[in-house]
This record gives sequence, structure tokens and C-alpha cells, in this order.
Amino acid sequence: MKSVNKLTASLLAGLFLLLFAGASTGQTQPSVLAIRGAKIYTLAGAPIEKGNIILRDGRIAAVGADAAIPAGAEIVDGAGLEVYPGLFDSSSQLGLTEIDSVAGTVDNAEMGDFNPQLNAATAIHPASEHIPVSRETGITHTVVMPGGGMIPGQATAIHLAGWTLEEMLVRKSVGLVLNWPQISTRSFDFATFSFKEKPYTDVKREQEKKVQELTDFFDRARHYQQAVEKGSAASYERDLKLEALIPVLKGELPVIVIAERAREIKGASEFCDKQKIRMILAGGTESYKVKDLLRQKNIPVILGPTLALPANEDDPYDRQFTLPAELQAAGIQFAISSQSISFMRRLPEYAGVAQAYGLSHDDALKAVTLNPAQIFGLSKDFGTIETGKIGNLIVTTGDPLEIRTVVRYLFINGRLTSTDNKHRQLYEKYRKRP
Amino acid sequence: MRISRSGIVVLSLATIAAAVPVAAQDTVIIQNATVLTITKGTIENGSVLIHNGKIAEVGKNLKVPSGATVIDASGMFLSPGIIDCHSHIAVEDQVNEGSVAVSSMTGVGEALDPEDPDIYHDLAGGVTVANVLHGSANPIGGLNAVIKLRWGKDAHGLMFEGAPPGIKFALGENPKRSNFTPPPGIPPRYPQSRMGVIDVIRQAFVDAREYRKSWDDYRKRTAAGEKNIMPPRRDVKLDPLVEVLEGKRYVHSHAYRADEMIQLMRLAEEFGFRIRTFQHVLEGYRIAPEMAAHGVGGSTFSDWWGYKAEAYEAIPYNAAMMTQHGVIVSINSDSAEEARHLNLEAAKTMKYGGMDETQALSMVTINPAIQLGIDKRVGSIEPGKDADLVIYNHHPLSVYAVPQTVFIDGHIYFDRKKDLAARADVDKERKALLEKEKAAEKKSEDKKSDEKKPDEKKPEEKKAIEAQTPGAPTPDASKPAVAKPDAPNPDASKQAPPKPKPADSKKDYSKKEDQKSQPPEPPKPPVTAAPQGSQQ
Amino acid sequence: MPQRNLCRSAEILALSIWVLTIAALFIGPDAQAGEPRYFAITNARIVPVSGAVIESGTVVMAKGLIVSVGKSVSIPPEALVIDGKGMTVYPGLFDALTDLGLTSPAATAGGAHEGGGGPSPSRGPEDRPNTTTWTSAADELKADDKRLETWRNGGFTTAVTAPKVGLFPGQGAVIDLAGDRPGDLVVKPNASLHISLTPTGGFFGFPGSLIGVIAYVKQIYYDAAQDAQAQQIYAANPRGRERPRYDRALHAIEDATRDGRPVLLPAVTVPQILRAFDIASQLGIKPVLYGVTQGYAVADQIAAKKLSVLVNLKWPEKEKDADPDAEESLRTLRVRDRAPGTPAALEKAGVKFAFYSDGLTSTKDILKNAKKAIDAGLQRDAALRALTLSPAEIYGVADRLGSIETGKIANLVVTDGDLFEEKTKIKFVFVDGRKFEIHEPEKPKDPPKGTMTGKWKFNFNTPEGAQEATADLTMDTDGTLSGSIVHQYGTSTISSGYLSADKFSFSFSVNMPRPTDVIFSGTLDGNTAKGSLSAGDFSTEITGTRPGGRQVENQEGR
Repeated sequence: MKSVNKLTASLLAGLFLLLFAGASTGQTQPSVLAIRGAKIYTLAGAPIEKGNIILRDGRIAAVGADAAIPAGAEIVDGAGLEVYPGLFDSSSQLGLTEIDSVAGTVDNAEMGDFNPQLNAATAIHPASEHIPVSRETGITHTVVMPGGGMIPGQATAIHLAGWTLEEMLVRKSVGLVLNWPQISTRSFDFATFSFKEKPYTDVKREQEKKVQELTDFFDRARHYQQAVEKGSAASYERDLKLEALIPVLKGELPVIVIAERAREIKGASEFCDKQKIRMILAGGTESYKVKDLLRQKNIPVILGPTLALPANEDDPYDRQFTLPAELQAAGIQFAISSQSISFMRRLPEYAGVAQAYGLSHDDALKAVTLNPAQIFGLSKDFGTIETGKIGNLIVTTGDPLEIRTVVRYLFINGRLTSTDNKHRQLYEKYRKRP
Repeated sequence: MRISRSGIVVLSLATIAAAVPVAAQDTVIIQNATVLTITKGTIENGSVLIHNGKIAEVGKNLKVPSGATVIDASGMFLSPGIIDCHSHIAVEDQVNEGSVAVSSMTGVGEALDPEDPDIYHDLAGGVTVANVLHGSANPIGGLNAVIKLRWGKDAHGLMFEGAPPGIKFALGENPKRSNFTPPPGIPPRYPQSRMGVIDVIRQAFVDAREYRKSWDDYRKRTAAGEKNIMPPRRDVKLDPLVEVLEGKRYVHSHAYRADEMIQLMRLAEEFGFRIRTFQHVLEGYRIAPEMAAHGVGGSTFSDWWGYKAEAYEAIPYNAAMMTQHGVIVSINSDSAEEARHLNLEAAKTMKYGGMDETQALSMVTINPAIQLGIDKRVGSIEPGKDADLVIYNHHPLSVYAVPQTVFIDGHIYFDRKKDLAARADVDKERKALLEKEKAAEKKSEDKKSDEKKPDEKKPEEKKAIEAQTPGAPTPDASKPAVAKPDAPNPDASKQAPPKPKPADSKKDYSKKEDQKSQPPEPPKPPVTAAPQGSQQ
Repeated sequence: MPQRNLCRSAEILALSIWVLTIAALFIGPDAQAGEPRYFAITNARIVPVSGAVIESGTVVMAKGLIVSVGKSVSIPPEALVIDGKGMTVYPGLFDALTDLGLTSPAATAGGAHEGGGGPSPSRGPEDRPNTTTWTSAADELKADDKRLETWRNGGFTTAVTAPKVGLFPGQGAVIDLAGDRPGDLVVKPNASLHISLTPTGGFFGFPGSLIGVIAYVKQIYYDAAQDAQAQQIYAANPRGRERPRYDRALHAIEDATRDGRPVLLPAVTVPQILRAFDIASQLGIKPVLYGVTQGYAVADQIAAKKLSVLVNLKWPEKEKDADPDAEESLRTLRVRDRAPGTPAALEKAGVKFAFYSDGLTSTKDILKNAKKAIDAGLQRDAALRALTLSPAEIYGVADRLGSIETGKIANLVVTDGDLFEEKTKIKFVFVDGRKFEIHEPEKPKDPPKGTMTGKWKFNFNTPEGAQEATADLTMDTDGTLSGSIVHQYGTSTISSGYLSADKFSFSFSVNMPRPTDVIFSGTLDGNTAKGSLSAGDFSTEITGTRPGGRQVENQEGR
């Protein structure tokens, strides 16, 4: 029985550096790991003041004050430390872009308005430096969404570790992204470098045209579905775009509708009702204006960063800070996301700020763990520390939403995974500069 | 929190706040707070006595002068006001004169917009002082303005009186316009490389030296009694550069890469001046010893990285590493949003690099004050300094800290309770004004259709119309939280177009601003695009 | 049409017949001889503005001047006597800032970039971007601008007209709104120097920002001061000296500074007004501020600076086709509510102010908006003064214009009641002592069926190919049309128009480059319009569509 002393953590980090330089999951780890004697926030009940967690074959085999540690298990000493479910960033573009301004590293969007056949999984770069950087604040899994056009493609859920995409994959498709067309009378004119106001009726007509195109596209897909299901293969030509919509039409795959303003949210909801498809709202800046609708229709919301300025001039300065607490009080299911890559590591702060402005600690934690797992239908495997779930865990020095807290150990797929990253490496390198 | 007038009356905070600003002559004492002085340690259950807008005394058991307003801050934390060393708020129109490579003829202080709601947004985040800078579109940019966030005052009232003047420089991708292509027909602008950037700066100082000499000669000859000498041309562009040469104006230079910073320091040394701060200074950690030797300060982001090539080696340890080499370091915002939580950004230096609480807080208080040359006035809680203070409900380095009250010069400029209370008034006034407009429209419609009947409306009808404008508030009676009386009207755009501000484009919500460099720098921030943002 | 006359003096008219023949070739059959030059309006209520109201008195005019005014003055035998019973005589109205009689010149080098082939963007102050200080409105006038008549029909006899485009568009002129040749109109050339602070460079040309514009304005003023000094030194002793560079942009600035001419500086909002104080003190000038929409909040400060201002009577309004769901900010609403209170506040503070019509396309609206200021607390006589004597004083022509006094130019407006009452009709105006009957815009015969209000796209074919014009029309309840139209040659104001039953007609003047009247007429059918346009000899079919649908319905639908 080996034991890892927390005092040797930095040594351990160095060891990991050697073991898992580059990517992170070691094939050489023993199949059984145990976290011993930590305070465990299972999020499935009251915290366990001092308990053990047994991880076997990637999953949580046991958790509890008296969960027995099997012989041969590698032990992580959790004394004085706290264990939480790994954080889930429910909306990001991790792996699709390395450096925004360098076109060669950007793979987050295709041309054209309708690309339901595209899948983020086909372009996620497992060696992206952003992945280990984001692990540092405790993020273990994320939903990666493509962008661009009205239907940019399908979102993919991944672990933040793996030598290959296959190893990283949680679920290849968790939803079809839909950028709901918005009516915006204001546009920026680059030539004069100023904003121009367009007549409302013009932009409204443009928007209606786009919605019509969207409707037509769905109608075509429905017809295609009928042909596929009832017709003979000879009677239709295979169309990858339309084919990709079938799971949505069948209700097997939700649409992740990106909409910010109340009017757009309402429009999108009507559309989804008409099309009888399942809607997840993403963005939702003005979701506080349509709480009744969201509750009645049971539409979950994936909020962006709470640290955002108010959208309207007369809005309270803390408009976006208090939004999660308001949705919670209204009984609307929601998650908080980074919508980012390089700022993904700020996810815990976004939840922390929501707590500072009214959300309970438990609910703030759930907004970045259990809630997104439920929204994406992944709660069987993620979101709490319970027997049978996938072993995505963090062992911290304290409250994971607090900025100062350090993630001492991080587990993905039941494996101890390094939080070492490019930044720490540069730090180590340059602090030694003579 | 409870405020009482010593010994006699207990006032609710709301009452005090309604009388904002507390007359400067008044004496105010904040009691029972954890006082984070920054320079003189932390005082549990401490008090701060404010007199005439200045901090008069700081200590444990201060005597309450008779007549003083007492603010009970039990369980609260008192810190100096946050100082943002890199801001672009409160400027009408663009912060860049991006056309020319040298735009030192411009100054953001000449176009301050005291009605910019972001002043209030940042104030509510505890910011009391901001270094408002020109953008980074030019190797030599425009002049800065150090302001206090005295919301409600006019442009003159915002100015930090006596703050040393400064100028913005910029190195790297923005001034060489790496990240955008001008529309067809527009010739590219020199410089297009880091070589050219340094060349432009060198040429400008060669010109400034010549210019200074021509004026010196002119003055000398005139003083000697010579008549009819051709006066040199006064050049608005070169005047500030002469001040830089003479050490009378600070250079705040936007810079990312280590090598370009070394080049600028050497160029400055060659011309006999010093760079005051590097702004962003993302690779400062690589050349901290050189920075310390030059005496330049570093004003950096907490954890921004990866949004462009020159930001790919940025690390959150940067602030701590420069500090450890003796560089004065501040954490700045470059964004009206980021400014609202600079205290949290400072806290990251503890996680990344092991700063202690005081070192961390220094990066948003005393250090930026030193960098701006205003540390005798602000940046710490010490007797004699301006009473620029923030009361937090939690330690300001905690994510749960919410600023409760913000003082500038001893006046309360933000109070959360009052802000909460005033929200209903804003809605009420908006509704009343909208209804009043509607009623007026209706009246003129009616009048038109009644044109043939000269008789006036019956009194009852008249009353009914008036009744539709309930409590039409007297102009400034209900000072709402954010809305300022008489803000620029939309038509003002005739005179000056509004500055591009992400307001209603949906992709803008999720993003941080990065106005430092519109548009050379991504109009959007370092934040990697939100899904909807990638439509571009 | 008013009687038009080539010649202003009877003596010349007596010249030989060939002169008249030649003249007729130029000005057409309207020209008539024998127009009276001596008038007396008797028994009228006279509002001289400069003095007390005369309830029943007489004004006598001779050869373009007021020769006497009073309760009982002797009427010269040669005068044409007009019985003014029931009439009120005011000084002719004075619009303090317009571009009447001017066509918009294209922006000069340094202007906003418009894509390939345009002028290169300006590289700095030295390129004098968008600066045409030397342009004098008096030299660019076109006497046949339709709008002169439109304004005259609204009671305006006088205006300052000035070039509009650029940072230093040029110099304004005080003009009378009638005359056969451009020179006949001019009362005072180079009456003012105009500054705009709107950035012109886009992002790529200087100045592309407000801070850039302010820097530029400072630099050019410093250059002018240096130039004046340098030219003087050089002229005194050129030998052995490098000659100062000739720069025509500076001369008008030097002249304005030397002669103390009004310098017009824009300032609409409170920050802009206070900023204008700072700019003025840096330039060492005492500007006349124009715009001043939010003057209500800083009237005392303007008074303390002893500045005169021109108040734009186009009060801020809700955007015509705005997003109904967009939340207008409280401060926007407040400005809309309070702006008409500006004149009253200025009056109370003792600021000298005049009104101008910038952006208003109908004279009816000018007076209607002045009435709004009265409703917001402005005294009637102060409103009248802001449309007569005050602008004359501001532009230094109060010795000849602005009031009904002996010896002043005979510019009068005669009404059948109080000027600011909507039902009041203007009977006639006198410009330079010439009488003009008021041509009421053609009234629709039948009540309108439907509405023309909204944004229209008109398509038509010309010898140059297919073209499009977009009109922004507003229809009154009686069918009268007003608004503006954007076409190949620029933007024109609709001079008159109506919808009668389902027949529409409206006209405007286009500079191609000679001013030409264009008439659109036809039949309205829902959101489409079909008919023809005529311009001189040319006519062609037009089809119009209103993409936005009916404005009125939109509003009701909210």
C-alpha cells in the first residue's frame, strides 16, 4: 500500500510532470485509487466530514465515512482537504481554437448558415495548451460548441484529459447548436467607425426571412426523415445535412438555442414548440424577463459568465450577478458556463459571484457540476460523488469557488491527472533565470 | 451597517446616503471594521476618522469627535479605493486616433464623458481612481487622464487634480496592425513590423529634440532683444514629447513581448528619459531584472492569455514574478467590466505566485498609485491621504466580497442599499415619461382631428390627461442609481458619434471589452469567442 | 410664383428694350416691369420687437427700406396702401443657421473612406483634412433654390446660410430670401466661421475621433496665429528670409479672429457644452455655440461665460422606425422631455439665443417647435426675438435687420394673428421691400385614403440606367406631405406634397448641378405606389414600395 503525503504534493507535481508531460492520462496507473480521510462534498446529500472515496476502472466504486480501502489501491491522503465533483463547463470552445488572432489555429466555425452535420468532436485538438491550463481551477469536463451561421453544428461533451479525442470523449453529440436570428437595429460600420441605426422594419424582415429559412430547412428534414423511414433507399439521395437533423426531430437530441434578448428567447421557444423539438437555452442574458415561459416550457438555461456588464443602460449594475439567484428562485434549471477557452479557468469565480449576489453555496456549486450534467442528460455519470458515477473529482484546499483555493489533486475518468501546464512550466523556467 | 451621529441620533444608512455627498467639512468616523491599511498593516476592529475629505486618524480606539457622523462597519472590511491603472471609460467617441502613427496631439482628457454609465458600474465595484488611456493603435498614442470616479460631477470634477500627466505608447501587434486588414483602397500604414514601431518612436523624439531646440533658440534670441525673428510653429503633436524628454510626462506603454520592452527601455535611456509603466507587460516575467533596473512599473492583467500570438506566453504568475524582482506591479482592467472586480483579479496573485494578502491588495491600491505618481494622495489608509475608501462585506480578496459603500474624498459616491432602493424610482420615472409622451402625442392627434371645433377640451378631459403622468417627478428629486440627469441625447451623435460599446449585439454580452486597441486589436476581447461569437 | 424681376431699380427698367429681351431669355416670362417699390401698411398691429407693440399703426416702406413706423405717420402719395386691419406685422423671421441656396459639396481630401478610388485618407493636421475655410456661402449661392420660397412662405425673410460639410466647412452669409441673382440675396458675406467637431476620417483618415478633431482645431488655430505673425515679419523684410508657406486654409481663420466674426462651435449635450468652453478658451475665442439641445441644464454656466447660442429647434424625438422592444434609457427620455425647456432656461439665465431649423424640413414645424418652447415656459416675445432681432445681433446685422425700425431693411411678415398660433395664416412677406404673396402649398382636395408616412423606395429608369431613390415621408392628417428624399445627386427636402384620396404628388429640387424641380405623382395602393416623375422635359414611370409597411399600423400594433 503506497501512500501519498500531502506535504510532498509539489514533489508529486514534479513527478507527474515527468510521467504525464504533454497530455495527461497515464496508462500505468493502478486500476484502483483511494482518497482517504477528506471532507467530501458529494452534492448528493450532506457533506461527509471525514470519508474515503474508492475509484475503480474509472468510476466511483465506493464513497463514505467508512468506505473500505482495498488492498493494492494507490492512496491519496485527503487529510485536511476537501473533495468535490469535478467542475463542468457547460459551454466552451475548448480545443477548437488555440490563438484567436492566428487563423491557422482557429477551427470553431464553418461557412454557410446550415451545418447540422458538423460536429465539434472532429476538430478538437487534444494537445491544446488550454486544456491543462483549465484543469488548474478544477474543470474536468466541458461541452464544446461550434459557432458560425444559424446552425453551426453539434456540440460535444469531453473530458479535459486524454491522449486522443477518443479518450477524451464523453458523448460525441449532446445537442445541436442553433444561433437564433436576432433583430438588431444597431450595426457597426467599419468605414466610418461608428454605429448605424437601421430601420426596425428592415431588420425585422431580414430576421423573419431567416426564421422562414430555418423553418423550411426543418420541413425539408422532416420530409427527408419520412423518406428515410418509410421510403426505399433508392427513392432518395443521401443528404448529410438533413440526416443530421433526424435525431433532433425525433426528440433524441436537444437544440441548444443561443439567444440573449427576451424577444429572441420567446421566438425561439415558439419555434421549438412548433417543431416539437427539445430546447436548451444558452446565453439567456434577458432570461429574467421570461421566467414564466422558461418554467412553463421546462426550458433549462446555460448562462454565460456572471461577470458581465448590464445589457441595458438602466439595468441595475449587478443585473448579471443576480441572474442565477433569480432563476433559482423561479424554479428554472440553469448552469453557469464560461463560453470561452482562455477564460475557462474563471468558471469557479463566475459561480462564486452568483453566490455573492444571492445564490446559496450549494446551488452555486451545482450550477457548475450537477445542473449542467442534468441538462445534458449526463447526470447518471456526472455531477455528484456517488457510487457508480465516473470518477471526475477534485481534491482542494477549500471552497473551489474561492479564488485562492488550490486544486491539489484532480481525477478524470478515475485517474489521477496532472494540473501541470504551460503556465506553470514557464513559471518554473523563468523563476530560475539567473 | 449602522450609522449614527455620535451620542445623539442614529441615522439609517439610507438617510445619510440621501444626503450624498456628505458635506466635506463634516467629520465622519467609520468604526469596528477590519481596516486593511495596505501600508501599515491590518487593524481588527479598527476605526478611520475622516475630516474634510481626508483621512485624519486611523487606529483601534479612536475618540469620536462630537458631531461626527458614525458609520458602524461591524463585520465589514475597509480597504483603500481600488485604482485601475488602465481604463478606457468616460470617453466620448473613440479612444483611438488610429489614423496616424503618432497621435500625441490628442488627449482623452479633452473628450471626457462624465455621463458614461461605466463610471458608475466601476464605482460600484470599488474603483475610485482610473488611469484613462488612449488606445493602442499607434506607436505613440494620445495623452491620458487620471480621474476620480466622482459620478455626477462634470468633466472637470472627474479630473484627479495634480496627477502627473502621461502619454500612451504601444508596441507590438496593435500598432503594426497585425490583426486586421484595412479595406481596399486604403494604403497600409507604416509601421508594419516591430522594427518600424521603434523607428517611428525614435523619429518622433528626434523631431521633438529639434523642435525644442528651435523654440529654445527663438526664446533666447527674443530675450536678447532681437526683433522680428520668425517664430517657430507650435506643434500640438510635439509639445507633449518635449515634456517626455524633460521628464515632465509619464510614458505608459502598451507592450506584450519581452524583447520589444527592452528595445523601448533602451531607446528611452538613449533620449534620457524613463518609461513609467509597461501596460499589460505580459512577458514582463522574462525581463523582470531589466525592468527593475530601468525603474519601470508593470501594470498587467491577472490571467488573460492566448487571444493573440503575443499573448500566447502570458502567464498568471507574471505579477508575482515581477514583484519578486522589485518591480512595482499593478493589476489593471482595460475593460469597464473587468474593473468591477479588480480585487478578485488581485487575489489571483496569491494562487499564482504566492503573494500574501497585502502584496495582492497592493496591486490594485498603492502600487498603481505609485505608478501614476499619486501615492502621496491615495492608495492606502493613512492619515493625510484622501478618504477614498471601500467598505466590503467580506474580505476583498474573497469572491464573495460585495462593495457596500464607496467613498471618494470622504463623500459617499456609491452605496449599495441606496442603489437598491432607487431602482424602483428609475422604473417609475421611465414609465411616467413614456406615458407623458404618449399623452402629448394623443393630444396633438386629437387636436388635429378637432381642428374644426375651436373649443378647448373640457376640463375633465384635461385632468384625465394630466393624471396619466403620475408623479411626474421634479427633475432631480429622485436621483436614480444609474441614470444621470440630462445625459447625452441620441441626437448628439450628430456632433460626435457614440463610442462603440457592446450593447445589443448578442455576441457582445459574453465578452470582455478590450478597447485598448480598437480596432487593431480584436474588437472583441481576449476571451475566446463564445459559440455565437464565432459567426464573424 | 412671386413676381420676379431682373432689375431692382426702376431707372434701369427704363433702359432700352433689348435689355429686357435679353433678360427674358434668361429668366423667362415671369419677369415683369412696374413692380411697386413704395408700400404703406395701415391700421395694423405692429410688433417691432425693438420696442413696444403698436396696436394700430402704419409701416411705410420705400425702395427696400423701412422709412417710417408709428401710430400716425404720413403716407407718401406714391405708396401702395395696404389696409392692415386684423393683421399683425412682425419683422421678417430670421433662421439663424441653414444651408438655403447652397448645394452640398463633396467632402474634400481626408474625408471618410468610401472604398477603392476615393481620396487617400489624411495623414495628419498638415493635410488640412476636410477644411474649406475659404469657401464663402455668399459666393456659392444659387438664387433658384426652391427652398428659398418654401422658407419665405413660412414667414422667413432672412437666414444665415453656411456650407455644411467638413470640419471647417467655410463661412456663412446673412442672406435675404429673395432675389434674382445670387448677389441680390447677400446682406453680409463672410458673417461667420463654422467649425464642426464630427470626426470625418473613419478609422483610417485623420481625424477619426473626437479627440483627433479637437487636436486638429487647436493646431489650425495655432497655425493661423503663427502664420499671421510670420507673414507680417516677412512682408516687412523679405530679403534673406525663408518665406512662410502660403496656406489658404488659415486666412479665413486669421480674418475671423482679427474682425471678431462669430465662430460657430457645435455643442448639443451637457458634456459637449462644457467641453466647448474649454476648447474656446484654448483657441482664445468667444464662440457662438450651436445645437444646445441640453442647454436647460447649464444655462447659468453659459450665461457666466457670456456666450450667445443658436438653439436647434429640431427637438429630439423617438426614432421613426425604432425597435419597439428596445429599452430607451431614462436619460434619453429625460432629454426628450426637457429639451424644449432650453429656450426658457436660457431666457431666465440671460443668455442671448437665436433659433435655427437644422434638420427640419417644413417651416410649419419650425414655428410649431418654437411653440413647444413657449409651452415649456418661454415668453412669446422672447421666442419672437430669437427668430428676429437676436440672430441679427449675433451676426452683427442688427443695424439693418431684425426689427421694425426706420432705416432698416424692409423685411416683414404679415399675419392674421399671433405668429405662434397654429391657426394663424401668413398673409404675405416683404423681402427687401418687395411684396410676396404666400403660396399656400397645394391643398389636397379630398381627405387622404391611407397614409404615405414611412420609408419608401422608388425605382425608375433614366437614360443613365435604373435608379433608386429613398424617401422618408410624413403625412399630416389632412394629407399634406413633408420629409426628405435621397437620390443620386444627394438629399433633398420635399418642398410640397399631398395625398388626395389615393392620388399623391410631391416635389423637390435637385441640383444636377443646376437646381431642377422634380415632381413625383401617382396612385397609392397599400404599400406600393405607381406613377411618374417629371423633371423639366424628362419624365418616366416610377414604382414605389414601402418595405416597412404602414407606419401608423406599426405604432398601433404595439
